[in-house]
Amino acid sequence: MTDVTTPEQLAKAKRAANLAKRYRSERRFRAFGMAAVLTAMGILGFLMTSIVYSSIPAFTHHHLTLDVVVDESRVELMVDDNNQTSVDGNWLGLVRASLRAHFPEVTSRRDKRKLYGLLSIGAGDGLAQMVNDTPSLIGQTVQIDVPLSDDVDLLIKGLIDRTLPEQDRLISDLELSWLDKLTADGLVHRAFAWALFNNGDSREAEMAGLKGAFVGSLLTIFVTLLVSFPLGVLAAIYLQEMAPKNRLTALIEVNTNNLAAVPSIVFGLLGLAVFISFFQMPRSAPLVGGLVLALMTLPTIIIATRASLASVPPSIRQAAMALGASRIQVIMHHVLPLAMPGILTGTIIGLAQAAGETAPLLMIGMMAFIVDTPTDVTAKATVLPAQIYMWANNPERAFVARTSAGIVVLLSFLLTINALAIILRKRFEKRW
Amino acid sequence: MTTTPAKITTRDVTVYYGDAQALHGIDMDIQANQVTALIGPSGCGKSTFLRCINRMNDVIEDCRVGGSISIDGQDIYDGSIDVVELRARVGMVFQKPNPFPKSIYENVAYGPRIHGLAENKSELDHMVETSLRRAGLWQEVSDRLHTSGSGLSGGQQQRLCIARTIAVNPNVVLMDEPCSALDPIATAVIEELIEELRADYTIVIVTHSMQQAARVSQRTAYFHLGNLVEQGDTDSIFTNPANKQTEAYISGKIG
Repeated sequence: MTDVTTPEQLAKAKRAANLAKRYRSERRFRAFGMAAVLTAMGILGFLMTSIVYSSIPAFTHHHLTLDVVVDESRVELMVDDNNQTSVDGNWLGLVRASLRAHFPEVTSRRDKRKLYGLLSIGAGDGLAQMVNDTPSLIGQTVQIDVPLSDDVDLLIKGLIDRTLPEQDRLISDLELSWLDKLTADGLVHRAFAWALFNNGDSREAEMAGLKGAFVGSLLTIFVTLLVSFPLGVLAAIYLQEMAPKNRLTALIEVNTNNLAAVPSIVFGLLGLAVFISFFQMPRSAPLVGGLVLALMTLPTIIIATRASLASVPPSIRQAAMALGASRIQVIMHHVLPLAMPGILTGTIIGLAQAAGETAPLLMIGMMAFIVDTPTDVTAKATVLPAQIYMWANNPERAFVARTSAGIVVLLSFLLTINALAIILRKRFEKRW
Repeated sequence: MTTTPAKITTRDVTVYYGDAQALHGIDMDIQANQVTALIGPSGCGKSTFLRCINRMNDVIEDCRVGGSISIDGQDIYDGSIDVVELRARVGMVFQKPNPFPKSIYENVAYGPRIHGLAENKSELDHMVETSLRRAGLWQEVSDRLHTSGSGLSGGQQQRLCIARTIAVNPNVVLMDEPCSALDPIATAVIEELIEELRADYTIVIVTHSMQQAARVSQRTAYFHLGNLVEQGDTDSIFTNPANKQTEAYISGKIG
């Protein structure tokens, strides 16, 4: 009985040992895979959490409630040629005067300047808007919330440590005492930072907003889509379905793939040389930015479109051809609709990539301090990633949170584009 | 037998794929309103030959066709022949059912639509119904014309493909192993259909099933290694083949 050397028993014993080994390696592989996924998710989660966390302060800002006397002697009502009224005045001065009314003891020039420093440079903007909307307010007293300066805001939020010795603090003891009095009077309160979404860029952190960059990004991506989608899809259809297979088309195919790997800054240089220097297009304009990004996106779209055209089963082409459909009819009626989901996905991925691109725009002047929101594709503009980079370079403390907030907005923008892609895809897939 | 002129006449048809010769001088006369079966082992060139008749080989890179093929006395490889028009006259049913990923209605209506056969919607509806009836599918799908064609069973899909082909109103129908992906019951239905269609169409069918060839065809041609070894009336080929090779294949000794 102890003899286990019959061939069947030997084979069985070997199989058993081998099986255990196979299962072990399978478990090991699974563990490695899960570890890889967990690591990636952990890093991503950490990144997202830290960005969102550090962006939180930027979404609120502290305001001061003041009763401002709209002194007739300091404002001027004007009527222009079109019978439009506008009111001009030293709005900031009015607001400052109202603040000083709370501190009659402050008389010296230096202290007054310090006191005014509690308020944002843009503290008068709200008042200007209000009085321009209702000129009848002239001569009356209005209650208005004005933004505090970014440093004061950070102090209230606890991002500047008030227990530090005075010389290490951005806010002096005197300023602190004024602020404490205002807080004790219940005049300071926190509100949503609309400026972040309603304003263009500014040197003052509390006035700086993303609107200009956001609209700039939209206009740029719009131009990119308009140029790269039709060009890319048509080129891909021709190359994949109609072009003869010869050396030239093989060369084009290889170089399309190479083009997709070209560093994006090279496209920026190309844009500078061709669009701006040669064609004399305007600098810093979404038109040029969009064209440059379209060049960059083209290979992505061409490759994705060709891949999804190639994945349409040949049986469908044959069926259509055998019914007497012409080449174009086969493509338009059968191949293209089936390839559409893939084409759209490729396009959206390309656009999302373009929307997050900064390097090529550097070369054509879209990395610039631009306050106004662009109104058309030839206006001066910047884009979200460029705005983020510029804010990140800003030494002021309050720009730290604003930079993160910019990233959050950019990410939301990209996520929206991707969600749109998925919805479109589902739509097209249903319409067989 | 050959008192009427043949519907399809092929003379010295050769096909090359690159440097490889797939067909060596095929001479055949295919009669109208008959089913001609092409049999032979895999790779013998029978599908290649079939695809010459509606010029589906045109789209294959470096495929060259020599010799002449005439339908109703007209050379189909002549420069004046419009291949789109040719394929409307010579329909084709494929090995694997390949309905378009569209509705049943759209599948059948597609051909008439691209050729502009229907003047209006009701005429198109009528064409779709007639075609589906002729393919024996109307009873089964009349209540779900606007559901996806790929939701049908394999046999129904193949009949849908036949309906789609005859909707264009061809006079020749080529079938490339139309039953190879189907079970025996679905096969029997298709074979019955072929028998019915014979009255109106000239049918050329490639098949791997000896029994099927014997059941559905009037004429049979045996291909081997790109050569047409023997052709003749199905009855005589199956009972009394003239060629040793044919006999070996039919009796199951080779192939």
